[in-house]
Amino acid sequence: MTVNITRRQLIQRGAAGITILSLPGLLAACGGGGGGGGGTSETLRFANWQLYIDIDEKTKKSPTLEQFTAETGIKVDYFEEINSNDEYFGKIQGPLSKGQGIDREIIVLTDNSRYPGLMVDEGWLEKLDKDKIPNFSNLIDAQLSPSFDPEREYSMPWQSGMTGIAYNEKLTSTPITSMEQLLEDSALKGKVTLLSEMADTIGSVMKLNGDDPTSVTDEAFEAALERVRKAVDSGQIRQFTGNEYTGPLSKGDLIAAMAWSGDIVQLQADNAALKWGLPESGGMIWTDNMLIPLGGDIGKASEFMNFVYDPVIAAQIAAYVNYVTPVKGAKEELAKSDPETAENPLIFPDDETLAKVSGFDAQALNNQDYIEQWQQLLGA
Amino acid sequence: MGSFFHRHRGLTPWVLLLPGIAWLAVFFVVPLGYLGYQSLQSGTFPRYQFDWAFVNYTEAISDNQEQLIRSFVYAGIATAAALAISYPLAYWIAFRTGRWKNVFLVLVIAPFFVTYLIRTIAWQTILSDEGPVVDLLKTIGLVAEDGRLLATTLAVVAGITYNFLPFMVLPIYVSLEQVDRRLIEAAGDLYASPVRSFLRITLPMSLPGVFAGTLLTFIPASGDFINAELLGGPNQQMIGNVIQSKFLALVDYPAAAALSFVLMAIILVMVAAYARVVGAEKLTR
Amino acid sequence: MSGWRFVKRHLLGVVAVLALLYMLLPIAVVVLFSFNNPAGRFNYVWQSFTLDNWLNWNAAPGIQNALETSLLLAVLSSLAATALGTLIALALVRYDFRARGFLNFLIFLPMSAPEIVLGASLLTLFLNQSVFQLGFWTIFIAHVMFNISFVVVTVRARLVDFDRHLEEAAADLGANELVTFRKVTLPLLAPAILAGAMLAFAISVDDFVITYFNSGSTITFPVYVWGQAARGVPPQVNVIGSAIFFVAVGIMLAQAVVQTRRERRPA
Repeated sequence: MTVNITRRQLIQRGAAGITILSLPGLLAACGGGGGGGGGTSETLRFANWQLYIDIDEKTKKSPTLEQFTAETGIKVDYFEEINSNDEYFGKIQGPLSKGQGIDREIIVLTDNSRYPGLMVDEGWLEKLDKDKIPNFSNLIDAQLSPSFDPEREYSMPWQSGMTGIAYNEKLTSTPITSMEQLLEDSALKGKVTLLSEMADTIGSVMKLNGDDPTSVTDEAFEAALERVRKAVDSGQIRQFTGNEYTGPLSKGDLIAAMAWSGDIVQLQADNAALKWGLPESGGMIWTDNMLIPLGGDIGKASEFMNFVYDPVIAAQIAAYVNYVTPVKGAKEELAKSDPETAENPLIFPDDETLAKVSGFDAQALNNQDYIEQWQQLLGA
Repeated sequence: MGSFFHRHRGLTPWVLLLPGIAWLAVFFVVPLGYLGYQSLQSGTFPRYQFDWAFVNYTEAISDNQEQLIRSFVYAGIATAAALAISYPLAYWIAFRTGRWKNVFLVLVIAPFFVTYLIRTIAWQTILSDEGPVVDLLKTIGLVAEDGRLLATTLAVVAGITYNFLPFMVLPIYVSLEQVDRRLIEAAGDLYASPVRSFLRITLPMSLPGVFAGTLLTFIPASGDFINAELLGGPNQQMIGNVIQSKFLALVDYPAAAALSFVLMAIILVMVAAYARVVGAEKLTR
Repeated sequence: MSGWRFVKRHLLGVVAVLALLYMLLPIAVVVLFSFNNPAGRFNYVWQSFTLDNWLNWNAAPGIQNALETSLLLAVLSSLAATALGTLIALALVRYDFRARGFLNFLIFLPMSAPEIVLGASLLTLFLNQSVFQLGFWTIFIAHVMFNISFVVVTVRARLVDFDRHLEEAAADLGANELVTFRKVTLPLLAPAILAGAMLAFAISVDDFVITYFNSGSTITFPVYVWGQAARGVPPQVNVIGSAIFFVAVGIMLAQAVVQTRRERRPA
């Protein structure tokens, strides 16, 4: 509301003359930019990825956020402004490196990129107030001690996802279930994409080679890199993508792609012939983490984290978002209202599935040499 | 010459220039200067130290030769293609459309108003494997049965060419428009064939426009990264993509800064050489 | 001879029209798919016709905000750039002073620098000061900065061919400098200034790279489209793209018609 009125004033003043009559006033009014004029004392500013929270189709609002406001009185300004870890970090590193805040209480970054680890090491994150997070005990065991934040002092998982292979069953006579097929089956030549995220692609290829991505050695890295390079040179790989495999996969430009588990539900709505599965040799699992950047209000952020770790709320988000929830008890809660979704292995993977996925070595993520070699392979 | 503000000749131009030049000085020259400073730093993010690291420049050139050459080749082909498409179009509008001139000009400029990204994404649709264009080309045989247009050099170059067409058409049109028709008539009266009068009169007079158009196309084209990102694969990445990757993925600001300067320097050298060859002094007065 | 001329005459026209169609092809696709009713999130395959997207053009969250931001930015920055650029053009053409060559070079430089260089270096400046927060005003500053050069080039082209006799005549008739400027120079320059302003407006509304680096969390329309591109661009984006096209065509056609009428009037 406030922002709209201020904009109208701006237009009037701008029209009246080029000389801006009251620069400081206008600067203050528009200082916040697109999202709002800065947090008031009762606002939580939450930056997240797109399509990552439940939305009521009719009201276009998030039930979770509304309920949070109703319970705590804290308003939530929700910014769907994160499209890629690289790009977002590139934007926020400036102020953070100078010790300034970025006007956000919570941001969400992926643990298979170098940035959460980097931010912890540089001291750009605030510590959580665990006293305000009694629901911390609902965090699933597997997530208790990630390598970038062993004591869980700075982060709490938002959602996890798995990296596997998506393929169009109409365009292929055999199902695509192995990385080997992706990289080397000439029937798929030029109709395959890999992910540009080093952890996803190199990790999966390492598993194909029988190596362990949680503990990367130079030899293992080089071997995986070489295998991918061969595939690129032979013309097997069309492109390296972030989310952009979704469009081409759906319209039939691709037969198969390395893809993230949460996207498949969306994709199947567009094209029912699309299937997703973990590679035979195993896939990768990654987790998007809630982090409190410097200058963010620790109390409010912690309260929010506690709120979404309530199994009821977690179930609500999981049902909509289609990624893997890190909250114990969410499955049981969801089974009460939506037993079908509660059995969906993509959202609640069983132990057998979980045994086939691993994370990526956090040290290797920040290895500048590896990253340079990987970027060179990507063409840049 | 300024016969008017005679008394204040020394001061007046500077008064006029001051606001604009000040803006450029603060928001263009200074940042560029800082970028230069950063290009000579070394170290890892976020702690860099300034130590005259000229090695950044040599590394920038040696590590990225492939993308540098590729960028200029793509930009060159795109510029040539744009010229080939635009010149006939500009000529036709200037000489053959009479009072509908302005309508056609509008049609040339108007696509430029639609966001660059939207136009490039439209090309993704047009060139998609299952789309009519690829089908047609496969039927004719220009594209192999298992071939494609997207994620190829052709798509990227075509995309670049397309996006800068208005920059080529407009300057050529402006030049052609100013050609005095009476000169051509006179040539005709002196028994010159249409081809001859074109080559001897029209073409030379349109060269300032061609010069401007080729520059306005080539320069932004060589730094482009969007077409390569949306329409290309790993073998089509241009120097713009590399700079982006150095800033964002590698967080190696000195390297990115050095590479940026290398790009600018090469462009300036090429432009200077081009201007010399074309005799630009006469063209831009 | 006449047969050959006939073919040649029409060949040029055919080639030109093909070129024009080629330029308009993506726009046609954009317009077409603005009427599409996509099955899922992707607007690549034609499903069915619907007017929904046009009626609910702001249904995609954030799109209206982004569009308003872009338009406001474009208006403000093109006004500023036109003012500054026109002054510079006047100085560069009308006066001869020592630094002229250098200043010509300086004006040319931003046009020759790749956008990514301009964007990144400006970002560095903004990060190292505390007057401006990354957001609306930093984008404004960036847009004015790169538009000045375009305005100068546009206005200068007209100034170079300017017929000074009219101004001299005014002086002979007793008008002082300021009056001459206001009543003779400025009106004659007006089309060029307007052209410069429109060019600056178009470039500002369309700018992605420089804006992206310097926008903080402010979202302009191109930045919005980029953000959506990976996940599937909503058809409302096509609607806005088409609308921009038609509005631009409308305005320019109107202006062109007015100008043609004016030119046809006896001098």
